[in-house]
Formats: sequence, structure tokens, C-alpha cells
Amino acid sequence: MSDQRQQWFAKVVESGLQNEIFNPGDVLAHATPDVLANHLPPELLSKVLTASLAAGSMTPERVLETITPELLAKHLPHEVLWSCIAAAAARAGVTNVVVS
Amino acid sequence: MNIKAFFVDALASALELGIGTPDDVLRHVTPDVLANNLPRPLWARLLTACLGAPKVDARLVVETVGVANLCEHVPATIIWTCIAEMGTRSIGKAFEAATPSPMISRTTQPMRSTSSVLSPPPEPVAKPTPASGTPVQLGPSIPRPTPAKGVATQPVSGLVGESSEGESQPPSRARSPSQRFRQSGTGVRTLGGVARRPQAAAVPVVKPIANASKRVENNDYETETAVESADWREKEIVVDDEQLVDWQADPGSAVAITGDDDFSDIGGRKR
Repeated sequence: MSDQRQQWFAKVVESGLQNEIFNPGDVLAHATPDVLANHLPPELLSKVLTASLAAGSMTPERVLETITPELLAKHLPHEVLWSCIAAAAARAGVTNVVVS
Repeated sequence: MNIKAFFVDALASALELGIGTPDDVLRHVTPDVLANNLPRPLWARLLTACLGAPKVDARLVVETVGVANLCEHVPATIIWTCIAEMGTRSIGKAFEAATPSPMISRTTQPMRSTSSVLSPPPEPVAKPTPASGTPVQLGPSIPRPTPAKGVATQPVSGLVGESSEGESQPPSRARSPSQRFRQSGTGVRTLGGVARRPQAAAVPVVKPIANASKRVENNDYETETAVESADWREKEIVVDDEQLVDWQADPGSAVAITGDDDFSDIGGRKR
């Protein structure tokens, strides 16, 4: 069940980004640096930093180019991802539920 | 922003990965919701699939309609409610609706209003049933037959040979004295033989039972002059003397001969 849920969250996040339901900035608004730092493995943190240094800047888009939705769903708490998704749905006006 | 494509991905992957089930979908996308939002061609496809399937369940509905069609035609709030329930359940949190779901409030569904078109049938009109034995009046010009005593309960076939009884009954229909017979072609018929026109009574002929079988062999009828029976031979016929004719004394008084024939030898004959 955990694998399926992980895949589903990865799919939803990917689809949300592709369909512009939310953008990388919205993801990082929930997946804060503190969350990333506490849940991402060291090699991923290293890779993010390396990519940012090569580009000269660290933007949310560039962070998510390194930390793909699959990696997000794999390492981050799904509650964080869900809050991102639910908030995006609320902004889209399609939600009538309270996401706790 | 393509919210529908996002819903398709989220819902399809949830069903594919077991995050949600078709029952979860139909818990929100109820048949009423489908009836009010799904196009008729899709309904035709769904009905065809349901008719041909041995078992109709939520999986059949979702797979037949398709997630893409569901997300395309069903309101986004409903689809999102479905996805939200799956998502919150997957992370172990309770799902609660902030406002009553529109698909739950059935009073706002147009389908309910269509029920008024199919109004229930009217109450059946109670027809008066005639009492047993009371004939129904057949038409305005046909009077109700007045059964006579002892005749009304008998069948019509039993009244054929009982014209003498009907003769004593007064006619039930008024008739002018000058009109003796009913005009032909009036189309009026008697009802059950009760109101029959009086007829002449046939006098039954009482036949002697003796030698009945012998008479049947010869003739079926009997007249006064029939000589087949031998009874007359044994009876003595009483004749007055005045009825006797003395042929020899006065032959001319008995027979008047007007012709030219010669009857001179007739006196010697015995008739």
C-alpha cells in the first residue's frame, strides 16, 4: 500500500505541475527548506546544491529539476504533498472540503 | 491550468494503484449525478454494457464510462471530493466535508423534477356492477325485459315448446290494436322469448300406444280413414234403418244417372 500511495502522490504532483495546478513555488511553499533538509538524504541535498552552484542560482524550478516528484513522494511526508495538492485545489475553487 | 487533466491523472492513478476503488468514485459520482451530467451517448454505452454484463457493479460503471469522461462531464467539485477522500484517507486523516455535497442533496437534482412527468395513473373509476340476475339494459330503444313468473329463471331453449304458457302472458310491449303483426325489418327482436307475440296453441295429438311399432313401419301419420289397423273389423257398426238404401226397390233415388251409358245390367251386380 505504501508503494502504491507513493506512486500515486508522485503522479499527482507531476500532473499538478504539468497541468499548472500548482507550480514549483507552491511546492516549496509546503516543502520548505526545513522539510527538505530533514527528509532528503545527503546525496540529494548535495546534488541540489551542486546544480544550483552550476547555474548560479537556486530557484524552485531548478530544485524540482533535481528533486523530481518521484523523489518528493519517496522522501517527503505525504501529508506535506497532500497539503500542497489540497491548497492548489482550493485555489482552483474546486474544493469544498476541509483538509486538516 | 488544466484542472480536468489533473483530475484524470489523479483519479486514474488512484484507481490503478489501489488508492481508491470504483466504489469510492460512485459514492460521490452517484447515478443521479451521472444522469444529470453524462451525455446520452455515454449513457447508451453504459446501459449497453450493463445489459450485457453478468454483474453490474461500480467497477463496470467506471470502466465503461471512463475516468476521462467522468472528469470531463462531472462537476469538478465532485471529482475533487472523490480525490480528496482518497488522499486524506491515504495519509490516515479523516475526511470531512465542509459543506453538504451537492450530489447528496437530491432535492436539487433535476431528475427529481422529471418524476412529475410520470405522474401516477389516475384512480380507477368504480363501475357499477349489475346485480346477479339483473340484465343490463342493452340500449336506449330496447326496453328492459320483464320476466314472468317461473319463466325468467328458465333457459331460452326450454321455452320453445311452451308457447301455450306464453300465450297467457300479456305482451310486455304496447301495441296498437290496428297493428296485428309486427312490421318486418324493424330489427326488434324478442328478448329471451319472454315478450314473444302470442301464437296459436298447437293441440297435441294423443296417439294410442298399442301397435305403435307396427304403425311406425307403415306410416308416421294416422288419419280417420286409415284402414291399416284391424280394429274396425272386430267392431260392430251401428246403422239406422233410414240410412240403409234399398237398391232393388228404388234404384233411381239412390243414384242419379245423367249420362248416356247403358247401366241395364247394374241391377244384377252387388256393390
